Amino acid sequence: MRMKIDETLCSGHGRCAKFAPNVYTLDDSGYNADVGQIIAVPSGEEDNATKGRKACPERAITEVDG
Amino acid sequence: MMMDNSPARIVDPQDPELSPERLKERFGRDFFRDFDIDDPNLNTHFHEVIDLMVQKCPVAHSKVGTGYYVFSTEEAVRKIGQDWQTFSSAKGYIPNRPDDMPLMIPVEQDPPNHTAWRRVLNPHMGPKVMDAIRDDVAREVNALIDKFIDRGECEFIGEMAGLLPGRAFFIYVLGVPVVDLPELVHDVDKSLFGPLDERTAYHKKVYDYLEKFLKEREAMEPQGDIVDTILKGVTYGDGSEASWEHKVSVVLDLTYGGISTTIYALGSTARHLADHPEQRQQLLDNPEWIENAVEEFVRAYSPVVAMGRTCTRDTEVEGVQLKEGDYVMMGFSSAGRDPRTIADPKALNFAEPTIHHPTFGVGPHRCIGSHLARMELAVFTREWLRRIPHFRVKAGTEPVYETGFLRAMSSLWLSWDK
Ligand code: HEM
Ligand code: SF4
Repeated sequence: MRMKIDETLCSGHGRCAKFAPNVYTLDDSGYNADVGQIIAVPSGEEDNATKGRKACPERAITEVDG
Repeated sequence: MMMDNSPARIVDPQDPELSPERLKERFGRDFFRDFDIDDPNLNTHFHEVIDLMVQKCPVAHSKVGTGYYVFSTEEAVRKIGQDWQTFSSAKGYIPNRPDDMPLMIPVEQDPPNHTAWRRVLNPHMGPKVMDAIRDDVAREVNALIDKFIDRGECEFIGEMAGLLPGRAFFIYVLGVPVVDLPELVHDVDKSLFGPLDERTAYHKKVYDYLEKFLKEREAMEPQGDIVDTILKGVTYGDGSEASWEHKVSVVLDLTYGGISTTIYALGSTARHLADHPEQRQQLLDNPEWIENAVEEFVRAYSPVVAMGRTCTRDTEVEGVQLKEGDYVMMGFSSAGRDPRTIADPKALNFAEPTIHHPTFGVGPHRCIGSHLARMELAVFTREWLRRIPHFRVKAGTEPVYETGFLRAMSSLWLSWDK
């Protein structure tokens, strides 16, 4: 599973990392540290990654194929 | 294509529940065809109005002053908040902004000037910084509880909610001398909830205090904190430097952005837990649910009713045609109770881990105090339930609310067995 973090939409709510700290990392300001990137979800973390995606108030996280 | 913006487009004319007569009879005003954020009837019927609005009239219109629209769905609120190019903050966050209202920064700026401030301020308000003051805030909560726990009752707003956010922010974020706190917290409170004709004078007093505080810090050695960052200032998009007035404005925005909002969030948390013993028990049994519970409290009881933007060009939202210069409000409190995004929006569900809501705003103006507020609310809930696990709204009393662009609570009596 891979997740794309939208660079312009992420506004630093920090919610994604609450649900999936092993998937999403925050910078010191509380923004997703991987904005503009596609990140690979470690196996076993798929559920948490999805919860984190759904919890994002900006809908900045999308699942991408492959 | 021309859009039809008549009330008929916005409110279903066939629905008897939505007829002007029926709405006036029920709420004292037809809030859908002529919304007024300051009408006392909104305060009285608050949840009924916003729930019906998000279900059946996702775009309400107001004729007050120059007029405005209120968008209630989570999707519309998100679109408006994120699209700062089309929806500008620079002309104020409330409709019919009075000319004598002091400028608030960063909330009344657009990128790139807004971005310049947020970039330097954000690191001081991030989750790591707030984690580091968690124990201090827990100590503050307990010191307040110590003062009334043996009495078996308290007026929660005056003795807890009204004091905690000010103490947390002024001591641990701004670093104001502790001796000045009682007066400063009192003055902030009076400027927000005091008699109407005294509010301006108290606001001025707070302004003068904070400006003097900044002046004094300017003369001192830098401490590497948020005050130094504000004093250092930023360079705006046109190459100019932020003025002294802008720096004072940032301190005021941080102060006023956080006080009333957090008081209401604490008050509605306490009231909900007082009224719902079974949900209190859930948190006593599953303290790991407290952070979810905080999200649910702020989602269902959003402290910000609505904040606005000015259209910079003609555009369309939810099928409604907007013109350059039109004023639009994002209904945060109704958007958190949108049945399109939350299956059962009136029920609070602490076990549900994927709660999303726009209570802390959306887009670049996302509440800079959100990490502080969430931490305070979680620490408060944990410590309160540890000390006072069972409590209720005191018999014979009714909580008192106020409503404007913010929803506020001015009195909440609680009691428990000694
Ligand atoms: C439960 C508590 C709180 C709620 C519900 C809340 C809500 C909001 C909302 C909805 C906005 C967005 C405004 C807009 O889009 O125009 C906002 C912005 C802001 N909030 Fe909060 N807030 C809370 C606590 C705090 C705290 C504790 C602080 C400061 C210590 C704070 C300071 C600010 C500031 C300075 C802004 C302006 C940010 C900007 O425009 O970039 N807030 N808040
Ligand atoms: S929840 Fe969304 S907006 Fe918040 S940090 Fe994560 S990706 Fe960014």
